[in-house]
Amino acid sequence: MRVRGPLRGCRIVDLSMGWAGPLATRHLADMGAEVVKVESCVHFDWFRGWEATRSWIDDCGHEKNPPFNCMNRNKLDVTLDLGTDRGRDLLLRLVSISDAVVENFAASVLPKLKLGYEVFRQAKQDIVMVSMPGFGSTGPWRHYRAYGSTTEQAAGLPHLTGHPDWPPMMVHIALGDAVAGLNGASALLVALRHLKRTGEGQFVDLSHSECLLPLGVHGIAEQSMTGTAPPRMGNRSRHHAPHGAYPCRAGRWVVIQILNEEQWNGLKGVVGEPIAGFGALTDRLARQDDLDAVVSGWTSERRAEAAMAELQAAGVPAGSVSRSNELWRDPHLKARAFWKLVDREHTGELPHASAAYRIDGEPMRIDWPSPTLGQHNCEVLGGILGLDDAEIDELEREGVIGTRPSVPEENAK
Amino acid sequence: MRHSHYTGALDGIRVLDISGGIAAGYCGKLFADHGADVLLVEPPEGFETRRVPPIIPGVKPPEASGMHAYLSTNKRSVVCDDSARLRELARGASLVIDGCATDERPLPLKELAQVAPNAALLSITWFGQDGPYRDFTGSDGVCMALASQIDWLGNAGEAPVIPGGYHAQIVAGQTAFIGAMGQVLAREIGNASGPAHIEVSVFEAGVCFTEIEAVRVHCGLPMRTRSGVNRFRTTYPLGIYPCRDGWLGVTVLTPSQWYGFCRLVRLKRLAGIARYRSSEARYQDADTLDPVIAEAVSGMSAKELVMRGQEMKVPLSLVPTMEELFSVDQYVSRRVFADVTHPDLGSFPLPVTPFRLRGSPAIPGGQVARLGEDTESVLEMAGAAG
Repeated sequence: MRVRGPLRGCRIVDLSMGWAGPLATRHLADMGAEVVKVESCVHFDWFRGWEATRSWIDDCGHEKNPPFNCMNRNKLDVTLDLGTDRGRDLLLRLVSISDAVVENFAASVLPKLKLGYEVFRQAKQDIVMVSMPGFGSTGPWRHYRAYGSTTEQAAGLPHLTGHPDWPPMMVHIALGDAVAGLNGASALLVALRHLKRTGEGQFVDLSHSECLLPLGVHGIAEQSMTGTAPPRMGNRSRHHAPHGAYPCRAGRWVVIQILNEEQWNGLKGVVGEPIAGFGALTDRLARQDDLDAVVSGWTSERRAEAAMAELQAAGVPAGSVSRSNELWRDPHLKARAFWKLVDREHTGELPHASAAYRIDGEPMRIDWPSPTLGQHNCEVLGGILGLDDAEIDELEREGVIGTRPSVPEENAK
Repeated sequence: MRHSHYTGALDGIRVLDISGGIAAGYCGKLFADHGADVLLVEPPEGFETRRVPPIIPGVKPPEASGMHAYLSTNKRSVVCDDSARLRELARGASLVIDGCATDERPLPLKELAQVAPNAALLSITWFGQDGPYRDFTGSDGVCMALASQIDWLGNAGEAPVIPGGYHAQIVAGQTAFIGAMGQVLAREIGNASGPAHIEVSVFEAGVCFTEIEAVRVHCGLPMRTRSGVNRFRTTYPLGIYPCRDGWLGVTVLTPSQWYGFCRLVRLKRLAGIARYRSSEARYQDADTLDPVIAEAVSGMSAKELVMRGQEMKVPLSLVPTMEELFSVDQYVSRRVFADVTHPDLGSFPLPVTPFRLRGSPAIPGGQVARLGEDTESVLEMAGAAG
């Protein structure tokens, strides 16, 4: 098959959908593992879209949704109707020659399909299975439905952000998904290491909400060790000043977080006279309103990028608040070739964020874009599983495989 | 302090952390909790993380940081500021983590390769090894601002809100773990050999939260902007509401979730409004709907709403305070918090490693070493004592 990257030779069956699971396997695919994404024409990845209609399918809407196209590059895609005996058997054959399976279904889905870790284990004794439901595979909440927002809420993180008179504040529409994806990739690598070293596979139980707890560990540790949670203070800090987002020209903002006296001296050197009257940290913390007003006075006369450049030149941690339509033009990311344009059928060129680690100065490879539905049916079923053309044609005739979504029953009415 | 009898999935891997940052600390923690031998090679005053809040009153520095304790479970601490000794310590290492963006490293890759030919060097910095921001000074908030993580947080016309804590550095540490673990594994299975320099920037790691949004906008879809606390276009209701016994977290997206939610909180009249089948339409009316929902749930029990709502497949959750976290049924049942023990700080519960390998579990909680506690034994072991 496609030999590439440091994890070549590792094969992962990816049953996951949405953001978290596909992000986990994307990391492995970026490193050269052969990730076979299994969808079906009926139950395709919901990141392709979740309100399928005839006209949407006719317009190839399922191939155009940016979230799907961001998460599935470097993967192979096969459609198998797991509700049929043949589809299920083919999945198990694929598992039998793979190292790992990843899934993030709701708890009831795999048992209904007569699938699960024990079944995969019968197909391959040493299989690694990473299971990624919102709240993990055990406990009273194991069947609970969750989005990436639900898990952020459940992790208590909103109590650590925002102003004290606001309700607890979330920081993303789906924070839990990306963080669980990173943990899923980590879990896969650790379990694969154990497999390669000992020959033992295993079940990995990952809960999205638990993956978020380290992001709030400063609050958890304070509660645990002192009996009190840190207060919410908006953008301010009990330990540092100035510390916040400051207005700039044209309605833009710059974040400045002074974390030590050296940085404070840098700021004093740039801003000069207006902040000369503020002294050591205790003085600054005691007069934050005045200090913020003076810093805002300085920033508001400048463009955010100019303020950032001037402050950074003096060793002050400052960053302009970037908008999402600017991110892919960011000069630093551009200079580092962080974004890569990849051409894809149905969409044309799309930017892809490279993995945030690079080896010997080179970003990880992005060899091909996210696959179209069933794009690699022949490559997977013929090349990997050894089916002949007649068998593959028959599977297509029987509707076990395909390349076009079916309209869900409720939308067809 | 390293667990003496434990062999985990990463047993046999040795990691040297000479960085001392939070991201490196979290990356190393994932190695250590899974059984790797992680040495903190600290300067005489100790790592920077030893001065990171929360600082526990009554405990003398450099042992008073709760954050350092969390990051340093199951690791050993060696004080060493001698480059020859550092090279000796690196003998046989799989990974060395530094925090340098310059060529003046405590242990350059070439020198590392002489004592550990297959080791990888991992450099975790705010902005990476090159590019126009390379020499910028970073912080969590600065990196999140540049990664477009905060532009949509808060009220329109007001300052964007910076999330509390060390989000950016923890996420960078996790990302670094993936990159480093991939290289370590590649060497063990024979797919790679020789030295490698892995680099991770905290700024770039944060883009994992915003890349989809950037690509959506690039494709001509509308940009999400700052439009209120817990207001994210176009999911509605998506919020956190006070109930009589705590906070209720709500996410309602699909028509069936909306109908279920309306029934649950006794707002059937809203369920009867046809256009509210669309989350987008509800979002447009959020200013009107929000007080109605808040009033409807204010006298109800969040615990009951979550239980009954989840039975109806509506994704609701409690939003536990820091204090409540430790007694959430789900977390108690799964033993999500385990004791971390430090000679001066005592024992206190902190979160265990989030992913559970049933066949080769991580160490729950663990011991934290005082600064330099393992210096003598480690240097002796490395043949570098005296």
